[in-house]
Amino acid sequence: MGPKRKIKSGHVGADSTRVDAPDKVRGRAVYTDDIDVPGCWYGKVVRSPVAHGRLRSLKRDEEFDWSRVSVVLPDDIPGKNIADLFIHDMPFIAHDEINYLGEPLALVAAPDRELAEEAARHFHPDIEELPGIFHMEEIVDLYKKQDSSLHSLGEQTTVKGDIEKGFSEADMIVTGEYWAGYQEQLYIEPQAMIAEMTDDGGVFIRGSLQCPYFINPELCLTLNLPPEKIRVKQEMTGGAFGGKEEYPTLIAGYCALLAMKSRHPVKIVFDRNEDILFTTKRHPSWGRLKTGLKKDGTITAIHAELLLNGGAYTTISRVVLARGILHAAMGYRCDNVFVDGRIFKTHTFPCGAFRGFGAPQATWAFESHIEELAKACGMLPQEFRRKNCLVQGDVTPTGMVLKDSVGSPAVLDQVLDRSDFAKKLKQSSRGNPKHKKWYGIGLAFFAHGSGFTGDGEARFKAKGAVELDWIEPNHPGVNIRISSTEMGQGAFTIMDQIAADAISIPLDDVRCPLPDTSLCPNSGPTVASRTTMVVGHTVHGAGLKLKAALEEFASKEVFEGRPVVLENGRFVCSGEALPFRQIAASYLDKHGRLRTEHQFTLPPDLKWDQSTFKGDAYPAFSWGCNAAEVEVDPLTFEIRLKKVTACFDVGRMINPLNCKAQAEGGLVQTIGYALMEKMGIRNGKYDADRMQTYIVPTMPDIPEFDITFVEYPYEFSPPGAKGIGEMPMDGLAPAIANAIENATGLRCNRIPIMPEDLFTLHRAKHQNG
Amino acid sequence: MKKLEKSDCRFPSTLKEALELLANESTRGRLLAGGSDLMVQWAAGMEPPPRVISIKGLKELQGIKEDDGAVVIGAGVTHAHIRSSKPVQKHLPALAAAAATVGGPQIQALGTIGGNVANASPAGDLAPALLITGGEAVVASRTGERTIPLTKFFLAYRRIDLKPDEMIVRFVLPKRAAGEIEVFRKLGTRAAQAISKVMCAARFSVKAGSFETCAVALGSVGPTTVRLPKLEEWIIGKSASEETLAEVEKRASDEVSPIDDIRSTAEYRKWVSGRLVRFLLES
Repeated sequence: MGPKRKIKSGHVGADSTRVDAPDKVRGRAVYTDDIDVPGCWYGKVVRSPVAHGRLRSLKRDEEFDWSRVSVVLPDDIPGKNIADLFIHDMPFIAHDEINYLGEPLALVAAPDRELAEEAARHFHPDIEELPGIFHMEEIVDLYKKQDSSLHSLGEQTTVKGDIEKGFSEADMIVTGEYWAGYQEQLYIEPQAMIAEMTDDGGVFIRGSLQCPYFINPELCLTLNLPPEKIRVKQEMTGGAFGGKEEYPTLIAGYCALLAMKSRHPVKIVFDRNEDILFTTKRHPSWGRLKTGLKKDGTITAIHAELLLNGGAYTTISRVVLARGILHAAMGYRCDNVFVDGRIFKTHTFPCGAFRGFGAPQATWAFESHIEELAKACGMLPQEFRRKNCLVQGDVTPTGMVLKDSVGSPAVLDQVLDRSDFAKKLKQSSRGNPKHKKWYGIGLAFFAHGSGFTGDGEARFKAKGAVELDWIEPNHPGVNIRISSTEMGQGAFTIMDQIAADAISIPLDDVRCPLPDTSLCPNSGPTVASRTTMVVGHTVHGAGLKLKAALEEFASKEVFEGRPVVLENGRFVCSGEALPFRQIAASYLDKHGRLRTEHQFTLPPDLKWDQSTFKGDAYPAFSWGCNAAEVEVDPLTFEIRLKKVTACFDVGRMINPLNCKAQAEGGLVQTIGYALMEKMGIRNGKYDADRMQTYIVPTMPDIPEFDITFVEYPYEFSPPGAKGIGEMPMDGLAPAIANAIENATGLRCNRIPIMPEDLFTLHRAKHQNG
Repeated sequence: MKKLEKSDCRFPSTLKEALELLANESTRGRLLAGGSDLMVQWAAGMEPPPRVISIKGLKELQGIKEDDGAVVIGAGVTHAHIRSSKPVQKHLPALAAAAATVGGPQIQALGTIGGNVANASPAGDLAPALLITGGEAVVASRTGERTIPLTKFFLAYRRIDLKPDEMIVRFVLPKRAAGEIEVFRKLGTRAAQAISKVMCAARFSVKAGSFETCAVALGSVGPTTVRLPKLEEWIIGKSASEETLAEVEKRASDEVSPIDDIRSTAEYRKWVSGRLVRFLLES
């Protein structure tokens, strides 16, 4: 099946500027902290000063006037003191064992922020301190010793073929270990939430969040409220990147508990320091790969281990691990694969969702390893990838047959061609002392699963709706009702395009309001590169149904039963035409609002076994390839990324301009992951805890980009999109490491890669050789 | 600013008035110029002092003047002004280059040379370029002025030779002599908005193939910005050869004792100090 099959085109497939841009650019967008709720109090979390211990007591200063504030202790929780995040191992407020520094011990609300902060200082926890475990290095050390003191938070394997047989057929075996560090989402707007009680005894929660239908129902257990009494509304959200996926349930819970206790609306907005210290990060990881190879470059066996530092509680880590192991040996042909993933506990803030969700860690390890494999059998990196990459008809490590929509090897070929890779590889310096600047180019090829893992989408049955209504006075139009959120990624623009196309009306007649659980069906969380593919499909389907209903109405009421087509904003009937708005207005006058809904389904032959992790791991894969060109200064080992050539297959592009923006943004975020964003643990806390010390790229660090796409639409789900959101995070780190090796002759197996690391490697090589 | 609500903030309109406030223990307060260091510290949770004296915009602290031998820069001159000043670019090019690497344009527009020196961070961006000039800081109090060589001004980590009733009013910075080269290089984790891992400035001249004069200063490699007196003494008269430069790299590296911190490692800093000094003296 070739690329670029033409599909009926209107708004879909055309560049469209972001519908949310004008308000954001002009500073008119209203964010949570801007919302002034009358009588609103301010909430503050009282946090543990130690990372691991046993809480003996929580004393309060008697001289402080506690009547001016409201305090929530574990006993004040109306439901269970459990954070209902997948696994019930985390209390909402710690009451006995403390497992990370900053764990909530109490909540306090006051009429203003200063008083709330002052009150928080009048708590004095008495804690018996216990030894803790903090670092990935400690985990790996204990893991290698098979030490039973390691606390597992989850594990999963997937097996294909016979790994021992595969190794016995190999001419050589290559091993490698690859480390990746923390990464902070660093969304522009910190976590922010408001909760207030409603007249029926429920709560209304609104704020900066990714997944309204996570908070409801997750807070039901804690607040002891039925789902219909918890209303959640997204407010304008200034970036999220996974950081506002599961975490907002906690801050929403703090606000809700304080609102229920104080009988005031309660707002919490973190400052940057609190946001970095006490919210989720990308899981630090360690991957060990052992691969059997034949002399001709055939891969006979892949044994992959992926360890994640989960932090103090399980939260969402098992889902991250699932995506991690499904990408840990993905992309290349091999009959015998064994992937083993494990999450271990440390006494640090629980790690969580971050754009890519386990896949960047897995791809970092695997694509670094692939480079070693090419070297081991004397092949050029592009030749080795070209020989082994999965193509249509091949079978993935979980046994999924790649039947269609396979942008491989197209993305690889496109990048090799556009970057002039073969020629530039020859020009690479490899640490040549005669070169004033060391130049190197490096490659990475990868796939990224679109949508929930396995049969997640089949079971979830995402729903989306469109509604004919008055969208402004005297302006009949269509509201899109989905629970997907706009967090800067452009989702609402794309939904407008899809709905306008499906109904065949102008973009101006469609809008996508911020989701509110009281108005929107559950289209699922805004995660997993699923929004355009899955929710876009529900909007498309709902739009077609609305169109049919309006055509029927027009036929019956206006055109005396003759067939009518709604086309480009006009109802056309054998030569006559009436504007959409006229018919829409008469429908609304006669019947009121019209709502149609559509549900996402998957092909019935999709098979997935959750216990063995075998079968069709995702509805579809997106494909990508990156070539990075770096310059390393032999004087100082400073690394400059000069150019990135990237090609992606994201199925049908709904909005090419936005696809490019997503790719650029993700690649920039990966520059930080690969080269700058170093974060460690010191005295139980992240050592880089503000923007002064947590170093992200700024404009002068951004290289030349050559970003292109090849389109292999996902035919099952019109309009044929696959995922793009996460994939730009997957491949650039290994491409950079591979480029650095070609520039310097030094192999870095740990990100971020700093000049200090190159210096250490250089010295070790020098001393040994 | 809300953080300063509880502080007694004064806004003297003349230098004399400001020095009067400083002279009296009951009115003495923390001096605030551009605020690019202090406001950040206060926002980060440090309690602001009970009294603050704003010297932002005081006329007596403004201006870049030139006399025969020196460029005189008022303590209240901003980084933006310094980097674009023709006399600084011509006679003190390392200082112009250093000012251009401070934070970003917003910080350069607010931050001042006096504030950068008074903050006395070992990573202060201007200090190495100031130290190589052999210049002086002029400090004033109600009773008069005092002149201190910059090489003696930085006493210890975040401490300068300044009495409680004094403030820095200007810097007198000798111009480079004809034939003298000035160079500056800063290493950071990213290309802009970076606090340095190591910074190096040098002023030197080579005559008939040998080093005739040489001043080298390094930042972020110790509790204060440092000159390298042993290296400077050794190099005079040595030929500008590959051999000498290899020895320069070793000696410069030996002469500093940096530490590990969030931005870099002691080992790397020690090594790269030598590399940078060598690189600058090669140019």
